[in-house]
Order: sequence, then structure tokens, then C-alpha cells
Amino acid sequence: MSTTENLVRIAQLSCGAEYSGIQNEIDSAVKQVNAVMVYPEVDITDIDSIEDEFGLKVASPDLKLMMARAKSIVTGKVHVDAVFIATCFRCAEAAIVRSEVRRYINEKTGIPVISYSFTERTTAGTLLTRMEALTTTARRKSLLAREKQTGLTAGIDSGSTTTKAVVMKDNKIIGKGWVPTIKVLESAQEAFDNAMKEAGVTRSDIQALGTTGYGRFLIGEFLKADLMQEEITVNSKGAVYLADKQKGPATVLDIGGMDNKAISVMDGIPGMFTMGGICAGASGRFLEMTAKRLGVGITELGTLALKGNAHNVKMNSYCIVFGIQSLVNSLAGGSTPEDVAAAACHSVAEQLFEQQLQEVDVKEPVIMVGGTSLIQGLPKAVEELLKVKVIVPDNAQYIGAVGAALLASGFISK
Amino acid sequence: MKVFIYPTNSLILYDLVERFGHEPLAIMQEIGKKVRTQGLDSPPMNMTPEDPKFGLKYAAVEVPSGVRGRMSLFDPLLSKAEAAIIVTEPVISFGCMGCARTNELVNFLLRGKKIPLLKLDYPTTEEDAKIFVYKISEFLKSLKPAEDKK
Amino acid sequence: METITKMIVINSSKLLPSDVAIKLYESKADVMIKETCFGVMVSGEREIVDSLLSDIRKLDKYGIFIKERGFAPGESFRCRATRRGGARPGFHNLENEDKLLPHIASALKALDRGEIPIRKKQTKKLDINKFKEIIKESEVLQ
Repeated sequence: MSTTENLVRIAQLSCGAEYSGIQNEIDSAVKQVNAVMVYPEVDITDIDSIEDEFGLKVASPDLKLMMARAKSIVTGKVHVDAVFIATCFRCAEAAIVRSEVRRYINEKTGIPVISYSFTERTTAGTLLTRMEALTTTARRKSLLAREKQTGLTAGIDSGSTTTKAVVMKDNKIIGKGWVPTIKVLESAQEAFDNAMKEAGVTRSDIQALGTTGYGRFLIGEFLKADLMQEEITVNSKGAVYLADKQKGPATVLDIGGMDNKAISVMDGIPGMFTMGGICAGASGRFLEMTAKRLGVGITELGTLALKGNAHNVKMNSYCIVFGIQSLVNSLAGGSTPEDVAAAACHSVAEQLFEQQLQEVDVKEPVIMVGGTSLIQGLPKAVEELLKVKVIVPDNAQYIGAVGAALLASGFISK
Repeated sequence: MKVFIYPTNSLILYDLVERFGHEPLAIMQEIGKKVRTQGLDSPPMNMTPEDPKFGLKYAAVEVPSGVRGRMSLFDPLLSKAEAAIIVTEPVISFGCMGCARTNELVNFLLRGKKIPLLKLDYPTTEEDAKIFVYKISEFLKSLKPAEDKK
Repeated sequence: METITKMIVINSSKLLPSDVAIKLYESKADVMIKETCFGVMVSGEREIVDSLLSDIRKLDKYGIFIKERGFAPGESFRCRATRRGGARPGFHNLENEDKLLPHIASALKALDRGEIPIRKKQTKKLDINKFKEIIKESEVLQ
């Protein structure tokens, strides 16, 4: 997060934010990424005619205003660099408008859009990574256009569960490190050291370093990184790079240890994205717990799931606590570990599908990344739900580190 | 008498109620109180996450936070209302009146209060406006004896 | 004592916002006055503002409309000059209601003349049998 960079103008299209008491949180998050919220100008005639023009009739006037403001952006009446669309969580009418307005703006203008549903508990902290990704996409288009890694660079991805590091040279990975995240700095150092050891290089040889993930600022400052970037833009870049799908549309899915990301990408740049984290039952943590309960390693869970049938196990809850309970009960009732493993993968995939993929447009190729993509049952469950082929590129677990190393090479000349 | 107006930010209704000698109850008064509250710093309206929580008085937690937050603003007005004028299908109005679900709930609660209530259509022509103003003046006049009795 | 803001919306052929502002200044009341495109905003203690505005209303009782406003004049989060972009939501309401003010003014005049307006007949949905007849007739025509 640099405050020396250009001020980014984000259009706020929202309903209910002020009345939920979170406008201050939104403003505080945008301030931290050196951006400002703007409210697109509309004429009263625009509001009068917007339902007919947009083709959607709504009961809530603030949603009409939202559509009219979207039109102001699309017709170029107002210039903005990015759009933040937000409505109350659990409002059906608003969810329909939010989704259609997001699609309308992104398709007609290509301006990066993020959509979010908030409650009164939404904080600036929750919004920060999203705002950071939104402003990066708007601000650093030339950096994100980079398709090849050059020179000798490294990337560190400090995730909530594991820390990953890679060293890259001339567009090839030459060293890797993967350790569980215990203490953010020490784990990062260890992963980085492992990667450098494998590559046969030292810190002074590395021409540029990029960091991403939860601990990006802490380790970035400690290791004097050239780039400290949130995981949405970095992972998108890493995903299309590793899958060799840098041109055209793609959808990147990353089920993380704590939260999930679903990103619609165009030419390697995120256009729409969501980041979820409401329930740990939809995360890698759930699969880890299932594996533990079944007495297998996390990677074995995937191969086990491939042999099972998810529909043989009844799961009543998505909750990490009750979901695990259902699985335990199924085992006690005679279900096979294979079916239980498959059911766990299916449950996570289903939540991703129900809660997040509605917020982005799923376009092929669908690329799954992150450590969880290696749990084979999971991409399979996603394939079954989406009815599309899912690509899991080699080194998918190093996605953030690779993306960071790739983007960091843009800093070598500096 | 204290007359609740709906739309509750209407210039015309506020003006007519005051013009005919009653006290309009409008949302701007509540916003004013919030904005002028010292020691809170949650711009623009000084609404905080505590407001939607207060709104649980009217609606369960699964009701969107925006509805509950708005209800917390309406709360003092609803409890003070001694009469109400409700305009059906008003012109589009935003902000405090921007949420259809909140508006439905407010209307429902007003009906439940069993207070004198005038319901009328939003006028579009001069003739409609005459009927509109006449009905409001008659309604407000009819409230006066009740006030005298006090 | 509570400090409030009231908004005077002027829809008059006789008065300009500046005329009203001058009258307000002449009153020497302890209030803050701000001219706007719609009229004038007045801030001060409730009693002072109310009594001042009941006199102001007399300048043109059919051309002056008054309502309370939550925000003080020029409040930076609401003022278009500092808000970065479009008007505050309430502005559009006012714009809408402003269009109706001439009709309200003429209704108020009629009321003062003692006119009782004729209520329009409520239109009901067309009787189903009548509707059937119309359909049959149109079939014959074809």
C-alpha cells in the first residue's frame, strides 16, 4: 500500500451502507489505499427512466439510484477508475441489482468492479484487501500486463495456514519452499531460505522480491521487498501464467486456509472478484479437519475422495463444527472413508458455488489454484457442479509466490 | 398534535402539517439529532453499527442491516406519532426513504398504532393537488378537537 | 436549546431567494443564513427559527414552503462542492417535489377561497362480462 501513488477514484454504488453504520469503515478503507469514493452524478430524468432502460423494475428507490449511477459511468458522464458495488447482506432485491449492475459496468466499460454484501459488522479491515486489489488493478495496469518473468527474482506468499516461497530465473522456477505458518516472519524466512538453497542463490543475488498474502507487509518490510501486493491480483497473475492462459478470459478459484477467492480475469487482469470468509466450513481448514478425523494426510484425502461418492453421505450443515459432526455420524453409521472424503470436498465446492460464484461471471478456462487444488477430490467436485473442465496447473500451491516473483521482475530496472 | 408524515422527508407534507398548525414528525429531525451528537464520529450521519442492533427491536437479525438501521431512526417518530398522513406511491425518494422493505414495515407499524390515519394518492395534476390539499386540511382540522380535549 | 436547520423553498413569481435572505438579515435574529438554488437555509435555536420563519412565510404564503433539514448548511459530507460527484440523495426528492409546488400553491389558494374540490370517481377494474363483450366485438370486426 503506497500513499505516494496516484489517487484512485472509486465510484460507490450502494444501498444501505450509511444506515448500517459502515460508511465510515468504507471511507477509512479507501483512504488507506489512497483512493476516494465518488458518487456519480445523475439527473432526475435518468432516475425516472432507468427502470425501462435497464429493464429491471425494483421497489427500493435507492436501487434505482444505483442503476442510474451505473449508467452515468457507462455513458462516460463521470470518469472513475474503479467501482465498488455494495448492498445489505440478505436483501434479495438488492442482490439481483448488485449482480446485474456489476455485469453491466464490467461488460460495457472494462472498469474493474468489486461487489460486496455487508452487515453492520463489516469493518475497514475486511474491506481493505478488496479495496487494495481494486485500486491495484486500476493503478498498475502496466505492471499487471507483464507476461514473462525476467532476471532473478523471488516471491513469498504468507498465507494463514502455509507460507510459500519461490525463486525464479528467466521465466523458470529454480527453487521452492513450503512451510506451515507458525510465526509469520520466521516461517517466511524459512520458506525463503529453503527456496534460495534449492536455487543455489543468496539474498544478495535476488534482484527483486515480491510478497503477498496476509503477512505481506510485515515480511515485505522486514525483507525489504520491492513489491507488497494483495493476493487477488497476484494470484490471478500467477494462475494465468502457470496455466499458460494469459490472453482472453479466465476464472481463477482459490480455496484458501481461511477464505476463498473467485476472480474473473481478462488478459491476466482481475475484472470482478469476490473474497469470502464468512464460514470456515467452506475453507481448506474444513478439509484439513476431515483428513485428520479420517486419519489420513491432507493430500491423501483427495485421492480418497476420487474413489468415493459424495451423495452417499448426508450432510445437513455447511458449518465447520456441525459439518464435521455430520461426517463423524456418517462414519459411525457405516459410511466409507472414501464417501466421507468425497462429501467433504463436495460440501466445500458447493459453498464456493453457492456463495461466491454468483458474484463473478464464470468463463472458461476455470483455473483452480492454491494448496487445496491439489486435493484432487476438490477440483473434481467443482467440475461436477460447474459442468466445466477445471485446470489445476503445475505448482498450483505456489501460485501467490510465483505471481509475486513474476510481478517483482517489473521492478528490476528501477 | 404530532403528525407522522410519509414520505417522512417530504417538503410538501412537512409544510402542510406545520402550516395547518400541527407538529410534523419527520426523519430530518432524527438525522439532525444524530449529526449534532457530540462524541460520535461516524460520518456522514453519525450512524454506527449500534443502530442496526437497536433496530432488532423491530426486525430479526436475518433482516438486512440497512432496514434495521433505518428502523432505529424511525423509532422515536413511531413512538411519538399521534396521527399520520400516508401518501401512497409517492414520487421516488432516496436515502432514508430509499428502502422499500423499511417503508413497508413503517406503514404496517403505523396501522397497528390505531391512531387517526389519512391515506391518499400522490397528486399529479392541479385538480388532484386540490383534492390532496383539501383532504389534508380537513384531516388536520379534525385532529384539533382531540387536542383541545387534552 | 436545540439548534436546528430549516429549509425555505421558494416557488414564487414575486420573490427571489435573495429577497428572503435580505428580510432574514434585516430581522437581526441570531441565526445563520445561507442562500441556495432552491431558496434559503436558516440555522439557529428552534424557537427563534420557527418564529422568524412564520413571519417570512407571510411574504408570499403560496410561494414559500418550509421543511426541517437534518444537516447544517454546507455540511461537507452532503454539500455537492465537497462530496465528489452527484447530489446528496435528498436533493432529488426536493427536485421532484419542487415540480409539484405550483399545483400545491394553487390548491392552497382554492382552499382559502373556500372551494371544495370535486372528488374523482374511483376507477374500478373492467367488469369481466363487459370485457368478454369487447373481445367478441373485436373478433367480429376482424
